[in-house]
Amino acid sequence: MFFHITLERNMQLHPRHFGPHLRDKLVAKLMKDVEGTCSGRHGFVVAITGVEDIGKGLIREGTGFVTFPVKYQAVVFRPFKGEILEAVVTMVNKMGFFAEAGPVQIFVSNHLIPDDMEFQSGDMPNYTTSDGSVKIQKDSEVRLKIIGTRVDATEIFCIGTIKDDFLGVINDPGVTA
Amino acid sequence: MSMEPFNRMVKLAARAFYDDVSIMGESQSKPGRIDNRGMTVIVLDALTRRQWVREEDLAKALKLHSKQLRRTLRFFEEEKLITRVHRKESAKGAKNFNAAIAATRDTQQTTKEGEEKMKMHMHSYCCLDYAQILDVVRYRMHRMKKKLKDELDSRNTIQEYICPNCGRRYSAFDALQLVSMEDEYFHCENCNGELVAESEKLAAEQLGDGDDNARKRRHEKLKDMYQKMEDQLKPLIAQLDRVKDLPAPEFGTLQAWEARARAASQANGDSNASDSKNIQGQGYGGTPMPFLGETSIEVALSGVEAKEETEPDIKPTALKVIPPWMIKQGMNLTIEQRRGIMPEPNVEHNSDDKKSSVDDKKPSADRDNEKSLQDEYLKAYYAALVKRQEEEEASRRIQQQTELSTSAAEEPVDRRVGMKSKREDDEDIEWESAAGTGNSSQSYKLADLNAEADASDDDNGGDDDDIAWEEG
Repeated sequence: MFFHITLERNMQLHPRHFGPHLRDKLVAKLMKDVEGTCSGRHGFVVAITGVEDIGKGLIREGTGFVTFPVKYQAVVFRPFKGEILEAVVTMVNKMGFFAEAGPVQIFVSNHLIPDDMEFQSGDMPNYTTSDGSVKIQKDSEVRLKIIGTRVDATEIFCIGTIKDDFLGVINDPGVTA
Repeated sequence: MSMEPFNRMVKLAARAFYDDVSIMGESQSKPGRIDNRGMTVIVLDALTRRQWVREEDLAKALKLHSKQLRRTLRFFEEEKLITRVHRKESAKGAKNFNAAIAATRDTQQTTKEGEEKMKMHMHSYCCLDYAQILDVVRYRMHRMKKKLKDELDSRNTIQEYICPNCGRRYSAFDALQLVSMEDEYFHCENCNGELVAESEKLAAEQLGDGDDNARKRRHEKLKDMYQKMEDQLKPLIAQLDRVKDLPAPEFGTLQAWEARARAASQANGDSNASDSKNIQGQGYGGTPMPFLGETSIEVALSGVEAKEETEPDIKPTALKVIPPWMIKQGMNLTIEQRRGIMPEPNVEHNSDDKKSSVDDKKPSADRDNEKSLQDEYLKAYYAALVKRQEEEEASRRIQQQTELSTSAAEEPVDRRVGMKSKREDDEDIEWESAAGTGNSSQSYKLADLNAEADASDDDNGGDDDDIAWEEG
């Protein structure tokens, strides 16, 4: 799920950046550092929408670096258990398939794939129904439900299922827009 | 005792969960294996009737091989149903334990002092741990219900993978890291073996059916299983509810329990205290005494109750008064035993007749005042009684003398028969020796008692001829 929240961070700046564009340099550095990262608490930081406040800089002892406490607003993405997402299949395996929903990776094991879908290996391994009507392969879009998340300090993994109602393939990759 | 509902719970749990567990040894060959399912139930039932018990004793009592029993007990220990203690003891220490058990059960036991084996053997003791059993059983039920409910409700189970080589378990979360191998399977991190999915399905699936049908059938099966489980476990659940509010019986560690039991036995005044010598054996002589004191039979296990004691120890100083109905003709008894008072020189009779004695069945060492009162009462009583009996005696003596004169002729006849008379003599001697052990304590006191004993012995010999049924 996406959230728009205020975060805080202490940014260190090298003295060579001191000058008339100090603030811009600071914001640029912030974006470079934070966007795309993941924290266990907030989830993936998708984009920084604005900088709220930059506090007074503190010169560190020994080095010339200056530390600024920066408050900023960002869009974050954090998956939850029980959430239903759309994801794109990245890899199909005998044990299940991997899908990506933005920055988060989700694994659906074959135990949670409906029983009528069987694995078929080949150059394009896929799961397909007995009558061939539904096929899950690379780049298929799939709606899945998250049944478990594992949150490390800097990573989030998810396990999903497509065995419930209204889940499964949305879009056939063969159909090109 | 608050153990009864707990014991019932243990028995129910044993029959519900452990009745088809068979404890096999690894070294037994297949045809040689005996099907011993249900032994667990028997062992658990036996443990509900005991507290701390030595495993060898339990094996003997249940007539099981100690090795099998040990395997079973090891299984219980892993299931967290019992606590086990292994300690090195000499055989003497083991006897201390025996005495402690005997004290709990109120049986008499004489400890054999004298065999001093200082070899230390490893003795194992075990005891049911009720509080833990309650927790374990409840947790087990909770897990069973949870597993079924999970399967039943939402199928939100996270797959687990096992490496068949090294047995390492992985969750589906780890799979995200494990995967990136190009050959379609998950490989173990250590040994690179192929991981096998652990199927958590309780209901078997039938492939080839339409999706809905198979699902429905599985659903039904799970529902049935859940229902059956509830029904079959209903008595156990009821018992658990009853029991979970009660405090569980606590036996404490082995040492604490032993010390308690020994203290209880000593307070009890029974002669099975393991460290006191068995002096009382002499005091009992040839007569089983009526129960001394007002000791209560109930042994408190959780906390020793202070027992009402009439005497801490049975002192062998006072000879017991034998009630008249116990006295058989031919018993070598002192006047004291017959009458219950110190014999006065005035009232000296060849005591072959029964004197009635007061039922002084409670010689209380610490109630001396009462005793002196009783003695005085006895004296007065006997003084009156003696007079009456003297008259009876006088009449009887006349009878006896006439009989003796008649039987005097018989005696030499008997002696000529040889063996028979000898046997009689032997039996007289036996009586003497038996009475002798009884009287040996008296010999410390009064010399004239012994003399009297001999005198009475001769007379008894005379009586024996008259009354033949004595020597049986």
